[in-house]
Amino acid sequence: MSDNKKWFSLNLSSPKKQSTGSCGCGKTSGGCGSHANDQISDEDFDAAVDAAIGDERKKDGFDQVFDVQMDRRTAFRKLTASLLIGAGAVSTSCSVTTGEDAKEKAQIDWEEQFKGNYKLMTDKERNATVERLVRSYQLRKEKTITMSSQNAEEDVLFGYAFNISKCQGYMDCVSACVEENNQDRNSQMEYIRIHEMKDGKGFKFDDADDNYYHEVPAEGHFYMGTQCFHCDNPPCVDVCPVQATWREDDGLVVIDYDWCVGCRYCMAACPYDGRRFNWSTPKVPEEEVNKNQHYLGNRMRKKGVMEKCTFCVQRSRAGKNPACVEACPTGARIFGNLLDPDSTIRWVLENKKVFRLKEDLGTEPKFWYFMD
Amino acid sequence: MIKKNYIYILGCTFICILFSCKHNEGEYHNITDKIEAESKNYHGTSISSEQLLEGIETIEITEGVHTFLIPERKSQIKSYACTECHTKPLRELKSNDTIKKAHWDIKLAHADLNTMNCITCHNGEDMNNLQSLTGNSIDFNRSYKLCSQCHSKQFKDWKGGAHGKKVAGWAPPRASMTCVNCHNPHKPGFDTRWPAGFNSQKVKERE
Repeated sequence: MSDNKKWFSLNLSSPKKQSTGSCGCGKTSGGCGSHANDQISDEDFDAAVDAAIGDERKKDGFDQVFDVQMDRRTAFRKLTASLLIGAGAVSTSCSVTTGEDAKEKAQIDWEEQFKGNYKLMTDKERNATVERLVRSYQLRKEKTITMSSQNAEEDVLFGYAFNISKCQGYMDCVSACVEENNQDRNSQMEYIRIHEMKDGKGFKFDDADDNYYHEVPAEGHFYMGTQCFHCDNPPCVDVCPVQATWREDDGLVVIDYDWCVGCRYCMAACPYDGRRFNWSTPKVPEEEVNKNQHYLGNRMRKKGVMEKCTFCVQRSRAGKNPACVEACPTGARIFGNLLDPDSTIRWVLENKKVFRLKEDLGTEPKFWYFMD
Repeated sequence: MIKKNYIYILGCTFICILFSCKHNEGEYHNITDKIEAESKNYHGTSISSEQLLEGIETIEITEGVHTFLIPERKSQIKSYACTECHTKPLRELKSNDTIKKAHWDIKLAHADLNTMNCITCHNGEDMNNLQSLTGNSIDFNRSYKLCSQCHSKQFKDWKGGAHGKKVAGWAPPRASMTCVNCHNPHKPGFDTRWPAGFNSQKVKERE
């Protein structure tokens, strides 16, 4: 290998001499795969990776965590992460002085730490984690929330249409969205952006103002909203290294906030600036917390995870319109089931001149724009 | 013989190439194909708006191929029926004294006076109903029929669902707001106003 390479490569397949077989982790079976991988050939390595990942695809929640071939690095990382929680759990459960509540809290934290990816959980496991989260909130804040783990309904594919000749730029949608989805009030994170564009200049997002504050609609301008477009071929999902984001059967692109590692690849991959990152711990005043929640939707997030518009999954799967649609005073936002031939969204797609942003990328967003 | 094999292999390669030119792993080439194909066997969903519409009085209307619900209007008008006050014909109720009378605050800001005045829509002889341009009676519950006389483009979009809002959810049965649920018929335009909020953090982030 030449030395003037500008990037660092792992060089996993180099025929270097390797130690005899004992390894630091001290395990004799299953657990430590590092020495096996260090000196094998390309094909064997690929096969091993394939085998490991292929297996993971079939595994569900708990198995996925416990029954994996783990190398030393991952093992240490997982152990340190779990150590604090474990220590807490042990100390509280063994202690005679701590109350029942503290023990229960520790138990919940323990189980939450080792739960699997939501996408791979069975319905029972999904219910269990939702119940744990509700109970955890109850123990900590003494408030009762309702959290749903409702799955995608059959024969439903959500779609959205935005009338750019109706939008007046009032931004009622933006504030309704923040309230509905428990977004961080400190960083003023917003899923929706309303771009104020000059008439006759086309869609120039660079020149558009998405944070105007003057009487609207302003003379000679039109308004165009953007948010997550819930692409049918979402690039953000492809790049996620831990599969913490995926497309549900009803077309919603969702995130498991507990599985997200916060690498922000998806943020870079999204061509529409649809994703947001929690740089700080999100804070919502207790009395403003929307207590009607969904695991994949507006439940409280933590620091360092991605989030975005979910078409208000907690509302849309219950038959309601997303908060932005309901809040819009001009009727510029149309939402509905694309598979229902009698739905209004279908009428819009079939009878109005609709277009989408960056259609040539092949992302197939399910968010159309139209004019009167 | 060799030539035959050669042609055979070439043919196979060609067919392989032909079929490998599919969109990566998806079943459909684009979303339109997907919608078209998957809605062929649409049997309806278990999600319904009925629960959300509970407590909202609606009437069913059929316009062309569209049948849907709109909110009932008469029970929402504060002083309906109009004939409770309008017991006499309008010209007898009129007077020239300066005291404020009923409806004093209504200023018509809808088209101009060459096009419209009160009696374009109201009938002095039959105050409980509206009237069309040709003098036919129109029920207050179906006031959209009045609007659609001029606003035919908006009417077409509203029927289909491109204009206006839904009453509750997206799911069937469809219940759409009618014209007067959003527009004041005497002043149907929307005012300019300040946006709902201003993001001060966004300004800082972009400094």
